[in-house]
Amino acid sequence: MTLAPPIYRLDKIAHFYGDKQVLDIARLEIPKGAIIGLMGPNGSGKSTLLKILAFAMRPSSGRVWFNGTPQYPFCEAIQGNVSLVTQKPYLLKRSVFDNIAYGLKIRRPPRDLTQRVQQVMAEVGLNFDRFAYRQWHELSGGEAQRVALAARLILRPEVLLLDEPVASVDTRSADLIRKASLAARQNRGTTLVVTSHDLPWLFTCSDTQLSINNGALFATGQEITIPGPYIRSHRTGRIWTRQLDDGQVIQLPARVDSGRTALIQRKDIRVMGPEKMEASTDNQIRGQVQSMYMTGQHGDIMTTIDAGGISFMLGMTPGQAARLNLQPGTVVTLAFNSCDIRWH
Amino acid sequence: MDYIVDGFIKAFFLLIHLDPATTSAITATLKVSTIAMIISLTIGLPLGFVLGYFDFPGKRHIKTLVDTLLALPTVCIGLIVYALISSRGPLGDWHLLFTLTGIAMGLTVLALPIVIAITAATVENIDSELKLTLVSLGAGRRHILRTCLWEVRYGILAGVVTAYGRVLTEVGIAMMVGGNIKYHTRTMTTAIALETNKGQFADGIALGIVLIIIALCVNICLSFLRKQ
Repeated sequence: MTLAPPIYRLDKIAHFYGDKQVLDIARLEIPKGAIIGLMGPNGSGKSTLLKILAFAMRPSSGRVWFNGTPQYPFCEAIQGNVSLVTQKPYLLKRSVFDNIAYGLKIRRPPRDLTQRVQQVMAEVGLNFDRFAYRQWHELSGGEAQRVALAARLILRPEVLLLDEPVASVDTRSADLIRKASLAARQNRGTTLVVTSHDLPWLFTCSDTQLSINNGALFATGQEITIPGPYIRSHRTGRIWTRQLDDGQVIQLPARVDSGRTALIQRKDIRVMGPEKMEASTDNQIRGQVQSMYMTGQHGDIMTTIDAGGISFMLGMTPGQAARLNLQPGTVVTLAFNSCDIRWH
Repeated sequence: MDYIVDGFIKAFFLLIHLDPATTSAITATLKVSTIAMIISLTIGLPLGFVLGYFDFPGKRHIKTLVDTLLALPTVCIGLIVYALISSRGPLGDWHLLFTLTGIAMGLTVLALPIVIAITAATVENIDSELKLTLVSLGAGRRHILRTCLWEVRYGILAGVVTAYGRVLTEVGIAMMVGGNIKYHTRTMTTAIALETNKGQFADGIALGIVLIIIALCVNICLSFLRKQ
């Protein structure tokens, strides 16, 4: 089996705003045609990463390779091939038609421009006759978001970057955006990188998920982040802990100098009934199931369990979920050993 | 009181019968102000865009300089331009003193900082998402400049109208550089000043009415643009 060559390769990317480092990525490869879901708290570096991937800004250090060649903002190779839809998309002060056609008009407009506009408007669920000649200020938030997406889709970009595309839209718009994004991959092989706080939405439309915390990337498929603040135990000096909002404590291993974030493999966490205890496990914390949803690819159930303010997203088979009688609101025990936690 | 009423009546007849001295002053004013605005816009729009859009060392100092030029009294501009184009000045060989071109030159110096400052301020307030959007839509530097200016066209047009109003009603430069020569460099404002000094209120009022009508049109345009 041959793997698709990466469309992006990021090498030693670091970015600073003043003295504050917001991005620290040693290496990242994004395969052609992949849909990457990027999640992380506000201020974690998601939007900065997307702007760098869109070549809208240069990183403070490091290189971004696109299709095997290092590229920079305004390079011809990326103009129109990489397109970003921001969280609050800016619509040009003109009609919907002119907004969507802009990217093609500044090149050599094709003869079938009207047809192409009609086609992408249909893809994002906008009726041409009703919307094409509306002005930019006559649209709702969801309609504006779909116009912005259509303006990118008409360019048939190799890469489409969507920053919180469903943050302020209704469920119908969110569904139309998801369908249009998936169709772009299916019909034209477009690579997508999507950020969202709406995890069910993200899991249903992406095939790989990455989480970003303090500017560092983690593969969500395998690892879970235990965010700080971390407290050093005064008694031993070597042991670190993380106090949860409800008073429970997670024991952490001795911290290595460069470690900024505590991580644990998903497979090392066991979900048990609320009364069950394991004598050999030093971390046993109570949590409550917040949400459960089917993931798009493997039919697994992604279960979000809140334990004292930290979300543990664990994938499980329908059989496992049924055995534990899991449903939103169920109280469970999460068991894991501190020696399985590592510092990144 | 009667002389004011008589002045209005005579002004009406002067305008109706297209009095040559009056129409000459109107034509000279429109000519110099239009030339000055064309030059100011050609130079000022790109400079204002650069000043508002990009960050570069010394930007703050340049902005301070432009803002200072905004407050420069017109008689100072008249004095500087006079010194430059008089026969003893560095541009003396061009014989621009007491010509409409000389006046247009002075008016350009007056309008240029207004155009630069208003363009820069308007461009500075452009939504930061606009540039990101244009880059995402594959726009190069040239298209970014053109589209950004088009997006803030109403703000810039308001600036242009303000500058035009200032140029149109200017008296110091026209008087000093133009010399107020009848049928040649006499503008509406210099004519009003002269006729009033001579006690010829009718001529002054006639030109004043025209000036007020033009100013009214300019302000109607401005108010329309602000609504946009």
